[in-house]
Amino acid sequence: MDYSSITERISLKVSAKGHQADTAKIEGKLRRLIEEFGVPPQEAERTVLNELARDLAIPDLGSGSAGAAGEKKLLRELSSGDWATIEAKVVSLSGSYSSAISQTGILADSTGAMRFVVWVKANAPRLSVGSWYRFESVVVDEYKGSPNVKVHSGTTIKEITSETPLIPKTIPIRDLTPGIGSIRGKFIQEWEASHDRMLQSGLVGDESGTVKFVIWKEEGKERLVPGTVYSIYYALVDEYQGRISLNLTTATILPEDGDIPVSGGEGVFSGALVHIAPGSGLIKRCPVEGCNRVLSRQNYCPVHEIQPGFLYDLRIKGWLDNGWETREILVQREATEQLTGMSIHESKELAENNPLGMDEVFLRVRERILGRYLTCRGREIDQRILVSECGFLHFDPGEIPGLLNRAGGSF
Amino acid sequence: MAMPDRPSFARREGTFEREPARRVFAAELRETRIHFREGEDEKSPTYVLLPTGERCNRVFLVGTLTEKKKQGEQNMFYRARVVDPTGTFFIMAGSYQPEAMQQIARIEAPSFVAVTGKPNVYETPDGATLISIRCESVTAVDKDTRDRWVLDCSLATLDRIDRMGATPYGERAQKEYHTDPAVFRKMVFDALSQLRM
Repeated sequence: MDYSSITERISLKVSAKGHQADTAKIEGKLRRLIEEFGVPPQEAERTVLNELARDLAIPDLGSGSAGAAGEKKLLRELSSGDWATIEAKVVSLSGSYSSAISQTGILADSTGAMRFVVWVKANAPRLSVGSWYRFESVVVDEYKGSPNVKVHSGTTIKEITSETPLIPKTIPIRDLTPGIGSIRGKFIQEWEASHDRMLQSGLVGDESGTVKFVIWKEEGKERLVPGTVYSIYYALVDEYQGRISLNLTTATILPEDGDIPVSGGEGVFSGALVHIAPGSGLIKRCPVEGCNRVLSRQNYCPVHEIQPGFLYDLRIKGWLDNGWETREILVQREATEQLTGMSIHESKELAENNPLGMDEVFLRVRERILGRYLTCRGREIDQRILVSECGFLHFDPGEIPGLLNRAGGSF
Repeated sequence: MAMPDRPSFARREGTFEREPARRVFAAELRETRIHFREGEDEKSPTYVLLPTGERCNRVFLVGTLTEKKKQGEQNMFYRARVVDPTGTFFIMAGSYQPEAMQQIARIEAPSFVAVTGKPNVYETPDGATLISIRCESVTAVDKDTRDRWVLDCSLATLDRIDRMGATPYGERAQKEYHTDPAVFRKMVFDALSQLRM
């Protein structure tokens, strides 16, 4: 292999900083890395540059990727390891949780969007949402599996004016990848917030699929309304153990008129109810408008604290199992009443007049349905069915002859 | 087997998938000897290999509770026998399965019961193997549910037999147990014959 072009590039960079470069030494190091250690040429170039930068104490020499340092690029063209100059608009800023970070948020241009972080050490001017800037010499690295622009002490930032209107392109939910994404979707299911700092969580869906979202509490953040269609621009797309989720805390969210079809939808599953989870039977919910969280035994809501004016509800959480596959089921009140033959009114009476209280309802529900065969129908998402309709499956002697034939076929 | 076997719901995030409860007749489970762990981790699930060729970490069965016995003083537990049309299941529940244990204590024999649990293979000092089911839940049910289970279990067993040549566990079962499919077809046939048409 010929190392002269890489060597020349390196020595040029070094001499541009006023240092003498020993080309033979550089070439020797490259050869050793590439031939002996199987390092890819690009990586070897970076390694040698970094080493020289350290040895010669040149601060911003290293890290540049092959020949592209500082080149002006569009966001779509950036990949991890690049040094580049970009012109982009700050479309959102988020709170930073580290004292080393001065600002963090999302940059966008006409080709895409990306997270960015400004280090405190960079001594950069404060950026404001909605303005365009020219960032000279930023570095791109990878954060949580997606590219991320870093503004460091060597970056120069100038505010610029741009007439380019930015309308992010929305994509189908199925096509979301970690990074930044824009979608148009319907808020189809609200979940109980699992954390004090969480404002809201649930599912949004479009024709291509559904995705979990979360909004964290922040000044001025408003809750979304279930059943509404939203255009969601610049959401943070995270991936955890192969599953995509959206963080909408800093996204631009616009409600839309009308309705859209949502995928998934109806699922039907039959099997034996092999487990009933705690939290089934009679439960108490927080009465605060829009909260609806399940209260603890002491009527404690994780957000609104003690709520003596709780509302009763009836539900079943459990697992249906057909011997090959399982589904988690969440049976809503009416279907629960129908299945157990116990109305919410009777359940309440039972709980209030029984030494075991609500446990008595749980035990009776268990006695009536655990180990039985059921067919459940409802919205299915991720192996989980929100059951709106269900019934017992009974023994049907009509199935015997077919099975006997199959069993007896060979003797 | 020192690990308490609690239902595995604590791990419900991410890619967790609940192990399905296999339907298997007592006569087939009685022949089961091979057990293994899938994965390196100490917490990886353990399985028994069914003679009709399926790995099995959990079973669901419905039969008649015919006998129960309280054992142990400090660590009290219950053993019980549950009978299906082909033979007997040995089930047990101890202090790590308090709800199942209370249920066994409460239910009078004989009754129809639905049992979900984990099969475990034991070797006796004289070299025989025993298989017993550690219960996760036990409920008293009616005859309709028992009959429904016999159909369900027949179907599942026939499906396994038909797929035996085509799955890795099927091939492994043929190698380890020299399974004769005709024996298990006859078992299913006999079980079905006991139901009223």
